[in-house]
Amino acid sequence: MVEKEPVLRVEDMTKRYGQKEVLHGASLRVNKGELKILIGPSGGGKSTLLQCINFLVIPDTGRVWLKGEEIIRSHKRDLYAYRQKVGMIFQDFNLFDHLTALGNVTIGLERVKGMAKKAAREKAVAELERVDLRNHISKYPAQLSGGQKQRVSIARALAMDPEVMLLDEPTSALDPELISEVLSVVENLRANGMTMVMSTHHMGFAREVADEIVFLEDGCILETGSPDKIFTHAECERTREFCSKILELYGNA
Amino acid sequence: MEELFFIQHDVIPALWRGMIVSIELIVPSAIFGLIIGIIIGNLRVFGNTIVAGIANSYVAIFRGFPLVVQLFIWYFGLPHLGIYLSPFVAAIVGFSLCSGAYHSEYVRGALLSIKKGQLLAAQSLGFSKMKMIISVVLPQAFRRALPGCGNEVIYLIKYSSLAYMITCIELTGEAKIIASETFKYTEIFLIVGAYYLVLTSVATWLLNRFENHLRLPGFDHYST
Amino acid sequence: MTESFIVIYEALPYLIQGSFVTIGIICGAMALGLSFGILLAVGQVYGHPFIRFLVRAYVWFFRGVPLLVLLFLFYFGLFTLLNINLPAFTVAIIVLGLISAAYQSQIFRGAILSLPEGQFKAARALGMSDKKSILFIILPQALRLSIPGWSNEYSIVLKDSAVAYALGVMEIMARAHFVASRTYEHLPLYFAAGVIFLILTYLGTRGLKLLEEKVRIPGYAR
Repeated sequence: MVEKEPVLRVEDMTKRYGQKEVLHGASLRVNKGELKILIGPSGGGKSTLLQCINFLVIPDTGRVWLKGEEIIRSHKRDLYAYRQKVGMIFQDFNLFDHLTALGNVTIGLERVKGMAKKAAREKAVAELERVDLRNHISKYPAQLSGGQKQRVSIARALAMDPEVMLLDEPTSALDPELISEVLSVVENLRANGMTMVMSTHHMGFAREVADEIVFLEDGCILETGSPDKIFTHAECERTREFCSKILELYGNA
Repeated sequence: MEELFFIQHDVIPALWRGMIVSIELIVPSAIFGLIIGIIIGNLRVFGNTIVAGIANSYVAIFRGFPLVVQLFIWYFGLPHLGIYLSPFVAAIVGFSLCSGAYHSEYVRGALLSIKKGQLLAAQSLGFSKMKMIISVVLPQAFRRALPGCGNEVIYLIKYSSLAYMITCIELTGEAKIIASETFKYTEIFLIVGAYYLVLTSVATWLLNRFENHLRLPGFDHYST
Repeated sequence: MTESFIVIYEALPYLIQGSFVTIGIICGAMALGLSFGILLAVGQVYGHPFIRFLVRAYVWFFRGVPLLVLLFLFYFGLFTLLNINLPAFTVAIIVLGLISAAYQSQIFRGAILSLPEGQFKAARALGMSDKKSILFIILPQALRLSIPGWSNEYSIVLKDSAVAYALGVMEIMARAHFVASRTYEHLPLYFAAGVIFLILTYLGTRGLKLLEEKVRIPGYAR
């Protein structure tokens, strides 16, 4: 039986800041349409791993393959092309403050993909509609709520037609009432077959929607498995400890 | 090569002579400028409406007129009123008054940044306005004004070269004279440039040392 | 006393022509300072360590040597040596521009450094090269933030332009002195010159304030 080639393959990621080793030999395989969710204590390396995958942070060791092709970081042009295919959603949104919501989505299309102004605008409006922000396209980031900002950043990433989406704790900076609007967008994306790797503290959401859960602590992947396995009969004791504590705190948020 | 050596023997003493005059211009001007700045700064913040108004007008004029214009007024203009100042004195007057206006800006900023609460506390303890200024405000304001005022002194070191324009022969003046005699403009002005670079660099370094020496924990980030 | 006013009144057109020369010097110098200053700032923030060293050395030199010395050095020294024959007006623009670039680079550098790191990250995440990120994301924001500092630099360069008189450029100060040496009305004429400079300062800073309002991003608070 031919094993399907994973869309994204990460091997042996290591990152050290001074004395501290933040990532230790992390490896990952993500298949098409899968939603892989990273969980674990803060400082465990989730954010670093995600940012190493698209080389925003340069790992000390580690290799990445997208659809079977390895990404050589030093080939600048290939790196930029790769990043277009990997969408990233940040915890702090990182919207471009000097551009409107529409501008945030069109800038990648015009300046990176080289689309014509009119075509870029049409596509951008379509993406913003998809995240339910049709009426806010002319607003600046400072005029948007946290949930709206995050949805713009999702539209911005989706407009580039990525193969994979990386979401770095997309709801951690949001007020509780606004979290659900972003999570429902993520659910929609999954339903439409987007391949995603996401880190989150929302155990309930993870349990419902994830295809696979990855538990990271102190830079090491301690355990991976289906939601059922991880949450009910995890192999590793540390995993069980963490899960029970979190479920206590957050319940099924 | 021999010529170069011979020239240096003529040039260096003359430049040194000029340097002495420059320092004789800079030091008094810096001191007077600081004193004027402190007084005017205080008047602008603590004075009543009329006094503050006059102080503010002074600053507007002496920061608004180019230094060159001010120097010309003291040297060429005062004779109209029967006052004849030597180039040297006119230069010091010009530098002090102009510099004082800029210093007062930094002093004013520093004074305003002292939280109102401390002033209220001092007043409630029974300090008179004068005592409050001296004991509570000035020690803190001094530290906050230091970077700005220090930089202003460094500007003064450079602007002292303008004394040449009212015929006061300091370092730049000496250089111009020798250069026009020997036509060795590039060499001489590179040397003069180096002299000034040394002066400003040393002054900057001293200023940084002094600032670090006076640094208080938690003091740097101040809100207004 | 009335004599003085008559002299000023008659000299006014001549002086105002001088302000066009002054304005020309400022425009040239500020433009040179702006373009070169941005390059220096970007080099100092994002460049190779060697580039950063060069920029710091440049800034140290052009902020440490007096304007008058640099004017003499360039006009009588360097350009003569290189056999380049430029009018004093042009040399004044070049020197003032080079000095202003050194100061402006620090204004822009401060503004660039004050932007959150996430802006650059998000740009790169979209696949933008460093050059595009700086051009389309960093600079538009940094330049807006720099307007107050730039306004301050404008008033400094305006006043420094009077030193061009030492090279014989017939700007406001030179003309005032010219008339004064013929009419002996030094005091009133220099005062008038000073007032013209005040007016030019006011017009410039006012204009820049309007520009700041015009390009302001709604809700942007840094």
